[in-house]
Amino acid sequence: MSALDLRLVDFTYPGAPSPALSQCTLCAEAGAVTWLTGALGSGTSTALLVAAGLAPRHTGGLRAGQVRTLGVDPADPSSARDLGGRVALVLPSPVSQLSGIAETVAQEVAFAPANLGWAAGRIHDGVARALDILGISHLADRDPATLSGGEMQRTVLAATLVLAPELWLLDEPASALDAGGRALLHRLLRAEAERGSAVVVASEDADGLAGVADRLVVFDAGRPVLEGSPDAVLRGDPVWEAGAGSTTIAALARAAQVSAPRPLTVEEGVAQWTR
Amino acid sequence: MTLAPGALAARAHPFTPLVLTVCIAVTAVALPGTEAAVAVYAATLLLVIVAGAGRAALRALIPLAPLWFFLLLLHGVLGGGETLTVLGATLSRGGLTLAATQAARLGAIATASLALYASFSPARFVDAVAQRGWSFSLAYVVVATLLALPRFRARAASILEAQRSRGLRLRGSPFNRLRAIGPITFPLVLGALAEVDERGFALETRCASAVERRTALAPPPDRALDRVARWVGIAAALAAVMWRLLA
Repeated sequence: MSALDLRLVDFTYPGAPSPALSQCTLCAEAGAVTWLTGALGSGTSTALLVAAGLAPRHTGGLRAGQVRTLGVDPADPSSARDLGGRVALVLPSPVSQLSGIAETVAQEVAFAPANLGWAAGRIHDGVARALDILGISHLADRDPATLSGGEMQRTVLAATLVLAPELWLLDEPASALDAGGRALLHRLLRAEAERGSAVVVASEDADGLAGVADRLVVFDAGRPVLEGSPDAVLRGDPVWEAGAGSTTIAALARAAQVSAPRPLTVEEGVAQWTR
Repeated sequence: MTLAPGALAARAHPFTPLVLTVCIAVTAVALPGTEAAVAVYAATLLLVIVAGAGRAALRALIPLAPLWFFLLLLHGVLGGGETLTVLGATLSRGGLTLAATQAARLGAIATASLALYASFSPARFVDAVAQRGWSFSLAYVVVATLLALPRFRARAASILEAQRSRGLRLRGSPFNRLRAIGPITFPLVLGALAEVDERGFALETRCASAVERRTALAPPPDRALDRVARWVGIAAALAAVMWRLLA
């Protein structure tokens, strides 16, 4: 059974003239990083909201088709109990993901485990570990509202990691991170997949995710139109035709009218152009 | 607003300042007569100073001063009945008494409220609610409401800075100042509305909507002094209400 299974899903936001997802079929397996990309409005963010059950339960709108998240329909109101703490969603804007009631970073990270009723000792250990992995132990006593964007996003990631979720859903999680933060995020996603989690990340960060993801799914007009290993998909022309993009080096090669398959990294580019 | 280090109000159980504030408001409004209102205000000032939140009493004077002035104007100057002359001004005796009563009641309520605000710790309050097994949603609403004001103010300050750096003029004629309200207010309100959706998503995925029994991370101790203070406050408020009803 896939950790995430969307079959022929349509979703239309309230008042929207056209569906955000149209006949969308998407699977994500445990132990793998699945990377969703596409042009603006292609439906990747909506697919994550549908997978988390927030669309339509929170957003309103109409959903058709079959959605199974860790084996249950996340739109079912009773699923919140089944999926609580097992599915995590990370959004692009860190400030709006803070609980709004924590006085310290440690309390912020402990927010969800406390809601789940974990024992206090387990929470303290989990928080310390998550802060350490995200490299923000020194911020444990800081007021989350006073953090920089990057520190805040690391806090949000720590608050997700502490739950050890079975399914990670991340929408542009590196938007507020610096280069060091992005590298840390990529290591974290890889480690979580190796731990056995299913990781689904919607991002345009081709340079960062090309070497991290196991599978790339390219969206266009609300459905996947192309998928395969990032290494294969990013070198070709179809990814550009779908309105997505590739790595900076592949974009440079394409601009220089180098035909596919194109290099993806500096090393490959140097090797190809200095032959 | 901060409390003195080690202040009694900071060490108190989170329910104690909350209960006492409600009791002070009820007592101040229920007890009839100027002397009673002044006595409640004096007792509130004493309590706040002993609790280490004396600064709240000073802060309360900022909103109270204009209110007191308008009460004096409304009742003392414009009031009818028997008059008396103070520093050459003819004032209504009955109006002055009424203004003093209302001013003292407002003083007690504003001082207690600001002392509560100064002593309020969101985390301790949520832990106290969790410890009793009460609704987390209710605690969240209380805490988020109390924290909304400073965060809204901080957001307004950053928008103000951003707009000033883009050439917005805040000085000059009243018309210029009036014109500056739009570029500050609209991003503030629209930003807050946009954030509501994402905050809702985040809270739901962080298990805030299906809390059965939240863990109290550091449960605050409920000492005998706290319990006595709360019961004395409740008894005083009930006695004041009974007095009002029976007198």
